[in-house]
Amino acid sequence: MRHARSTPWIFIAPAALLMAAGCLLPVLAAVRLGFFDWSMGTPWSEAKWVGISAFVDAIKDPAVWRSLWTTLKFAFVSVSIEMVLGIVLALVLERSVRGTTFFRTLFVLPMMIAPIAVGLTWRYLFDSQFGLVNAVLGAFSIAPKGWLADETLAFAAIIISDIWQWTPFVFIMVMAGLAGVDSSVVEAARIDGASTRQIITKVKLPMIAHVLAITLVMRLIDAFRVLEVIYILTFGGPGDSTEVLSLHIYKTAFIGQKLGAASAISVLLLIVVAGLSYMALRLSNPLRDPVAR
Amino acid sequence: MKRRDVLKTAGIAGILTAGQFPLIKGVFAQDRYGKYRGTTLVLSIPAHSQYDAMTKLIPEFTAETGIKVELDKLAIPRMKDKQLLEMAKPQGDYDLASYVVMWKSEYVKKNLIVELEPYFKNPALADPNYDMGDIVKGYLENLGLVGGRKGYLPGPNAKLYGLPYGAETSVLAYRKDIFEKHGLKPPTDYTEFQKLLAPIKAKEGIGALTSRGQAGHQCVHAWLLHLNPLGGEVFDENWNLTFNKQQGIDALTFLKEVVDTGPVGIPAFGQGEMNNTFLQGQAAMYLDSTLIMGIVNDTSKSKIAGKVGYALHPKGVKHASQSGGLGLCIPRNAKNKEAAFLMMQWLTSKAQDIKVVQAGGGPTRMSTINNADILKQFPDFAVLKDALKYVDPDWRPIIAEWDEINIQALGVGVSEALTGKKTPKQALDDLVPKITGIMQKGGYLKA
Repeated sequence: MRHARSTPWIFIAPAALLMAAGCLLPVLAAVRLGFFDWSMGTPWSEAKWVGISAFVDAIKDPAVWRSLWTTLKFAFVSVSIEMVLGIVLALVLERSVRGTTFFRTLFVLPMMIAPIAVGLTWRYLFDSQFGLVNAVLGAFSIAPKGWLADETLAFAAIIISDIWQWTPFVFIMVMAGLAGVDSSVVEAARIDGASTRQIITKVKLPMIAHVLAITLVMRLIDAFRVLEVIYILTFGGPGDSTEVLSLHIYKTAFIGQKLGAASAISVLLLIVVAGLSYMALRLSNPLRDPVAR
Repeated sequence: MKRRDVLKTAGIAGILTAGQFPLIKGVFAQDRYGKYRGTTLVLSIPAHSQYDAMTKLIPEFTAETGIKVELDKLAIPRMKDKQLLEMAKPQGDYDLASYVVMWKSEYVKKNLIVELEPYFKNPALADPNYDMGDIVKGYLENLGLVGGRKGYLPGPNAKLYGLPYGAETSVLAYRKDIFEKHGLKPPTDYTEFQKLLAPIKAKEGIGALTSRGQAGHQCVHAWLLHLNPLGGEVFDENWNLTFNKQQGIDALTFLKEVVDTGPVGIPAFGQGEMNNTFLQGQAAMYLDSTLIMGIVNDTSKSKIAGKVGYALHPKGVKHASQSGGLGLCIPRNAKNKEAAFLMMQWLTSKAQDIKVVQAGGGPTRMSTINNADILKQFPDFAVLKDALKYVDPDWRPIIAEWDEINIQALGVGVSEALTGKKTPKQALDDLVPKITGIMQKGGYLKA
């Protein structure tokens, strides 16, 4: 049975239009807003056209570059550790041993908690006077630390909280990938004399490379958008040492009341995330034609 | 300037005279609320002890007036975003909104809230016994007036846009037991104050003075507490930057010493952490909002009930207590403005001011602070009464750009000085270009 050439397009069109409306329009609206100076609470008719000056100012603003650098450091450190921990945990719990189900459930719990609650929980845990972290250190006669009051420790604190919350995501994705690995391939490697390490590094991980790539991309995108936990934990401080780009955008929009400037910085963030995602997908793109792979 | 002079400059002198017309009083007092019975008001309020106390009074308001009330309660940092979104609509959901003092100029500049004088002059609405002159002068000027000198102080063009409700000033609270144990006296000036810090830490092993310190608004608030008594200011009369003059550096140096001799972690402390540290016995002194008076003896929150004394905010080159807190305003796009005014007037009346204090809130009226029964119940109000003499309505520049200057500029620099990343002088000097840019954009300084 033959179909008209337009048939696939007809079927795809509704979904494509919805995607365009849901994803593309807000982005275009943000780009448009970047060309205006507009403050919340004033009518849009009072918005002033400023051309590309908000984009130029954003590029020239040292605070934007500082927060971008903080974001890159945060994303690199936290996502790297999450990927390693998530993969290790998935490999350990892949086998069906006693208690596996319990641990699998336990490990995914943090991901289900609202980021605001995560921020508050860690703020209490890191509290210099009454927090559990200092109480544990105290048990070893270590003087209490101002975890959120010191630039280095505060940066470590936001990374720890992110790792705690998002390692389970990597864990679940890798578990799903490993479940799809053909056991006969693993068995064949074992018969050929491959060690456990070789099976992991030469067979399993290469076979789930596409899952790892998409997990990495999703975590990178999320790490660049992180806001709530840092808002609650440090509000970007001390100084601006933990002010990631999304928090800088929030402050520009809702404290500085410069929605146009915030939109311009958001577009820059979008470009950076898109660039990083492109590079990650170049490594192993699950959507690439399998024949060409 | 006398209290009544302030009101005249605010252009609301007529409000006071309403009580001189007994006929009007007689006709309208009985049925002021009649027209609005069955109306439902929606209030935007913060999670704050004053508004927790207010909530207890609402059933009485509804019974007395027939006006129903719905509350939208949010954490203070989230309240402004939502209010701006609501107040920008052709018709908003809020009839009455609580606001932080720093937002008043921005709300007026954006034409989001209404002037109150026409309501107070309307004999059908105004309570002739309201007595505006009884409201604490510094609170009324600080929270209510916009358009006068500097744009936010009394002056020929000042107009009343809000009423204080949850206003506060600063007071020094200290542990009587610790001071007695070491033969110390509460400090009266900054020299004595500074001399106490290191010895208390050394002798008692707990922080000397607790403080706010988190980056942003919190650390700037802490710095301003010391800047004003030490004779400094953020801008001069012509909006030239003065925060990095010697007084600013001295105030920041003092605050750094507070951090070094205080409980561990001050550079991350918000108001909650600051309060908790004192209430849990981890600091010997507290210098901040008078709100602490309401919770110190609440044993569910405090381990130091009965052990706390109060003193005036120590004098630097002058006495200058903090002015700030919350007020009530009517959004321009409110559906029930007149009923909202009636509720605002009712809540801030003499009778309800006493009741809100008894329910756990703070006083706004001198008659409440001078009330013998209240003084018997809250003897610490004697110190509050003295502190109110020194409330400085120009404690911080409440211009529309203040939030940005406060949080995105000063809030970063002051924090960097507190962690030792920069010296106080370097931290303040480095802020000059950024704040100059904001002031130029706002039209205060020439580019």
